[in-house]
Amino acid sequence: MQPEDAGEPMDRALLICVSDYRYTEPPHGVSGKLPAVKNNLPVLREALVRAGVFTHEDIVPLSSPDFAEAARKLQRVASEAGGLLLVYFAGHGAIPSGGDELYLQLCDAQVFAGEHTVFNAAVSFSDLMGTVLATSRADRIVVVLDCCFAGNAARVWEHFEDKRRVVLLMSVQANHRIDAGAPDTPTPYTENLAELLGREGGTTVSRLTALLRQRMAEQKRRTLRNEPWQPQLRADAGAEVTLGRKGPEVPLLVPGGSGPAGPGPDPGTPGPSPRPRRRLPAWTAALWRRPRALAATWSRARRRRQHARRGAGGGKRPSRGILLRFALPVLVALGMLGVGLYGPLGLAGGDDTHCAPPLELRVLTDPDLEDTFRTAADAYLTSEANTTEAGCRRTGITVYSAGSSDVVEALRRHTDAWKEPGADEVDPQRDIGPQPDVWIPASRAEVDRVLEQQDTDAVAELEPGERPLARSPVVLAVPSRLAPEPLNEVTGRPLTEMIEALTARAEDTGVRRPDPEFTDSGLLATVGLYGDTAAVARGETMVRQPGPPSPTAGDLLCALPDDDAVDDRTAALVPEFLLISGVDCEGTVRAPRTALYPADVPGMDPVFVRVRWDGGETDATARDAAVASFRDWLAGEGGEEVFARYGFRDPDSLEPIDEDVDLDVVSYAPSPLDASAGRDEMERALGAYQAYGGPGRVLFLLDSSGSMAGLWEGPSGGPGLLRQTLGGLGSDDEYGVWAVADTGDGPYETLLGFGRHWRRDAEEAVDERARVRDASADPHAALLAAFDEMEDRGDDGRPQMIVHITDGRHGSYLEGGRLREVLDRAGAGGVPVTVAVLGSGGCDEGRPDQRIAEVSGGRCLDAGDDVGAALHDEIARIGTGDD
Amino acid sequence: MPRRLTALLALLLLAACTGGGGGTPEPAAEEKPGTIVVASGRDVTGSNGVRQRLIDAWNRAQQKAGSRYQARLVELPGSADEQRSQLLGALQSGSARYDVVNLDVTWVPEFAEAGLVRALPDDLVDADVIDPVAETARWDGKVYAVPFNSDVGLLYYRADLLRKAGVEEPYVPEGFTWEQLRGHITTLDDRLGAEDFANGWTTQLDAYEGRTVNVMEAFATAVPGLRLVDEDGRYTGDVEQLRRGVREFVRRVDPAYVSPDAKKHDEAESTSEFTVGRTAFLRAWPSAYPTLYRAFGKRLGVAPLPGRAVLGGQNLAVTTTSERARKATELIRFLTGRLSERCLLEAGFAATRGSAYGRSPRCPAEISAAPAPSPTGEPDEVPRGDGGRPGLSDLKLRKALERAVHRPRTPLYGAFTQTLITQLGPLVEAGSADEDELDRTARRLDEALRRALPG
Repeated sequence: MQPEDAGEPMDRALLICVSDYRYTEPPHGVSGKLPAVKNNLPVLREALVRAGVFTHEDIVPLSSPDFAEAARKLQRVASEAGGLLLVYFAGHGAIPSGGDELYLQLCDAQVFAGEHTVFNAAVSFSDLMGTVLATSRADRIVVVLDCCFAGNAARVWEHFEDKRRVVLLMSVQANHRIDAGAPDTPTPYTENLAELLGREGGTTVSRLTALLRQRMAEQKRRTLRNEPWQPQLRADAGAEVTLGRKGPEVPLLVPGGSGPAGPGPDPGTPGPSPRPRRRLPAWTAALWRRPRALAATWSRARRRRQHARRGAGGGKRPSRGILLRFALPVLVALGMLGVGLYGPLGLAGGDDTHCAPPLELRVLTDPDLEDTFRTAADAYLTSEANTTEAGCRRTGITVYSAGSSDVVEALRRHTDAWKEPGADEVDPQRDIGPQPDVWIPASRAEVDRVLEQQDTDAVAELEPGERPLARSPVVLAVPSRLAPEPLNEVTGRPLTEMIEALTARAEDTGVRRPDPEFTDSGLLATVGLYGDTAAVARGETMVRQPGPPSPTAGDLLCALPDDDAVDDRTAALVPEFLLISGVDCEGTVRAPRTALYPADVPGMDPVFVRVRWDGGETDATARDAAVASFRDWLAGEGGEEVFARYGFRDPDSLEPIDEDVDLDVVSYAPSPLDASAGRDEMERALGAYQAYGGPGRVLFLLDSSGSMAGLWEGPSGGPGLLRQTLGGLGSDDEYGVWAVADTGDGPYETLLGFGRHWRRDAEEAVDERARVRDASADPHAALLAAFDEMEDRGDDGRPQMIVHITDGRHGSYLEGGRLREVLDRAGAGGVPVTVAVLGSGGCDEGRPDQRIAEVSGGRCLDAGDDVGAALHDEIARIGTGDD
Repeated sequence: MPRRLTALLALLLLAACTGGGGGTPEPAAEEKPGTIVVASGRDVTGSNGVRQRLIDAWNRAQQKAGSRYQARLVELPGSADEQRSQLLGALQSGSARYDVVNLDVTWVPEFAEAGLVRALPDDLVDADVIDPVAETARWDGKVYAVPFNSDVGLLYYRADLLRKAGVEEPYVPEGFTWEQLRGHITTLDDRLGAEDFANGWTTQLDAYEGRTVNVMEAFATAVPGLRLVDEDGRYTGDVEQLRRGVREFVRRVDPAYVSPDAKKHDEAESTSEFTVGRTAFLRAWPSAYPTLYRAFGKRLGVAPLPGRAVLGGQNLAVTTTSERARKATELIRFLTGRLSERCLLEAGFAATRGSAYGRSPRCPAEISAAPAPSPTGEPDEVPRGDGGRPGLSDLKLRKALERAVHRPRTPLYGAFTQTLITQLGPLVEAGSADEDELDRTARRLDEALRRALPG
């Protein structure tokens, strides 16, 4: 971007020549490649330099770009130009009908003809105009189109209020197709244009057009309708542009006509150009803040056109049916953002409004932030910012969350599988959720962790915002009766010191932290726990607890009051905002808490990240605009209101947005405050957490009795679940798989012997050997054998787990004395048993599987938990695997 | 006329080109054989992978016929909201490629109107498809999505508790009303102790689609023939209709009858609450049956929901961007045909075709997802299909489908359901409302729906 006062304004040219088209076969391909167009680029470039219009450095040549690249370059070049901006396009041009729009097709263009016709990967001329007008401060803009139907751009140009800056050269008159010529020469129009430029140097565009017409006539060029081929020009009255070294800019004698240029500037005519430097129109700034959100501009132009059309009385207005039929492709091509678009289209037939389905944004966030951003999205959906003049919603939004380390890993290494799930078990579409358009991690450091280690061939590109949306420190929430006196100890000390002081005050005090792999608040807390000295063991000892950690900070605060004794003497490492807004388990009496602010625990600083997917450019501009609008709303008053309600702090001042906070719970301006985490400290903390205790040891018991027959097939069946969890185990972990069915040789059969395995070998063993047996299972005997097996391997401090995948139908095998025996061993063994019960209700209070899991410190998972994902998370905590 | 216009438009579009060096549009060619990607939500119904088995069967047939087409099932997350978001976002932007998408019945108008799925041959939905189910296939007079499996709200109850309380059989007679249901709950309250059950009934009132389903069932019961939208999906309701509907809904969430936890429950959680014996009645889909039967055996009763029940289910559609649309349509024809519907029924789904419920041939063994009877001493397998479900005969299920009502059919369904969920949130929380509050809620809802579905 050129600074306001940077000397000579920069001239820039973007030459787009599309000769190679990716899709050229019916039913959706364009009608063939254009070898001739390939020759246009060097010829025109040379001519422009030779004529002194541009230097080589000024020119950005684009040979057969795809839509995304063309859009990016257009924005960049347009924003860089301060003096003269030239945009040239040669390639296929298409129109939805004889109507007043023109689509310029890029190399990945496709056409979906039908009831709702779609031009994929084609930029409409309106969009191109909108982009250059909104993005560029160039004094003079020249657009040259060499394609079929180029003349159809003229009518679009007419409707732009701001068209004065744009001079438009078109290869052919409206509604005419033209021949591209022989494959080894440039197209006729460009060949002549280049030659004239080179020869004339310093000529005006109107003179150039006149000469072009003359030459084309001399050459007896004809369109495919066999009519004389007449290049066109549109320029506002009084506007003229000189291309080349010499000559002042002169007004046209015949605006938009074909006559030769006049003798010189008319002193009586207001100075045509250079026009004063231009700021973005106020409405653009207000609505979108950034020029990248261009759809507003385009749509505004459309709205004006539509209004103009209605106002004209509609003598030539097509019938409603036809208008809609032809309007829909435009609408779809715009990605259905339809800023101000649908209303006028629907209104064409009467006073009723017709809203098209809005563009859908997929917004992924941290599990602890899901409530906040869902509330924000709900408010945004009905806000003015998301409503067109016709009262339609521009955008729909779905907010969802997934485990934070899974998300980072998927964005680093599995974007390809996220886009196109393969036969592999790695399937982020299924296990994490939709491919996000927007990702809002709880910490900026997560974005940097992805960027630092993202695969070079990743198919998702991240564009993080610079400023956090809000902040919330991660605090040590201590039962108020245990809060330090005096209260000046609430800040300024490292976390471990605070915990030591707390336990010094009350010996039986415990500290809990949410799962560092599942939510950033847990990982941020872990950064402080391990401290500078990376005292991992000491830190982990401080937060040791029976059973697995709560998945999220919200879950942790909800779980503590389950046991009053625990609640009263346990401090929780949670984001401060949850202490202000509360958690969604009201009705529970909880111990009042006071927030302490450790100096070395970084806070949450959720940041807005645009995620772009390769191939996801069909509605790129509209999607970008929709994303930008939501982002700006979040960063503005709308978002602030939600963040205030949820107890967040201002990202800059670090003060609570809602000043009316309960000072018995939180401090107003604690200092110092560790505001943001660093990428490396997060990476280190997570790595140390995962490695703590060394490689894991897991024994899988797969119920293979006859009653599993109905729960066997597919990814949600017993073997399918088992396969999915293997990704959480690395080659250093030890594990084995037993098929539990009493076939006469004992309570189990070994499918995979205990030891280290390559994942593929393990999967093969499961695939080949796991099958339903014509036998019943004796889980009592199998579990006791499993405890023996784990005991035999000794207690060397390594993380261990027994995983029991079953349908939960144990009959008398887990009743009475047998159940008691299993419970006794489970309680004494120190090996948590995680039970995955296929079938709803298997983990209800009092069920044998639930009791075994609870007493052993494991988890019981059933259909209410999304068993696959939850089991994967459990295994990931034990193992060293990395997907 | 529309067909001719479309064809003309197609011609115009395909001719829209620079005459590529003398090149003319190429003649229509056969589509390229390859993989047909079928996107469907994670199957949480415990159907033992019947969808995958049907696709496997089609693939085998293709292979046998020497075809180079294969279909591949891609699973989406279990949450319907996330499925919808991914399908919409991916088809709009092109971020993922799908040829066939499995759409919840309420999404069909949205996907059709947005041009994301194609119009399909009419004969894919023939007279065999049960009436209200068949209606979910169409938008703007054309078939866009073919019914794959259906769903309808049912009332499950504890027959043993009703017996113990001395309620006379039949416990849930034909034409059973909500008033009678409340009467039963009062009887149970009077005659049984807290050790028998804690609350009358439970359902799904959390802030998701389940709440919308429950609200619409109350509305449709209170206002016979209620539509709320016209054929274009534009709002046509009024305050009076909404007031009556809201009043009925509030009666249903009265804490004297409903479990206080229902407001945080989805399908799995409400089923679980019933399974552990905390409530005597449950509103749930047919897919809950196997779990409940395992828990209660013959102590379980099933009946049509009192009042009106909402129709659920999923339909298969071909995406606009599919490069194998012809073959994808052929795949859908197979997946929704008589044989497949029979297999789906036997696997525990509500079939969409009347013939599946009759004496049609059984699902072939190589496709059948129903497990073979266990010869072991383990508890009995759940009887499935062919009248083998105690308390839930095929006939009963089919009748329930035939009487089911639609949620509003609108291309703006996302806005509709989000509005309903948020506007009725306070009532769900409060569990009661006086006349003034009812009136205010109805007015606010009317205004919000008017904004959400302009018309």
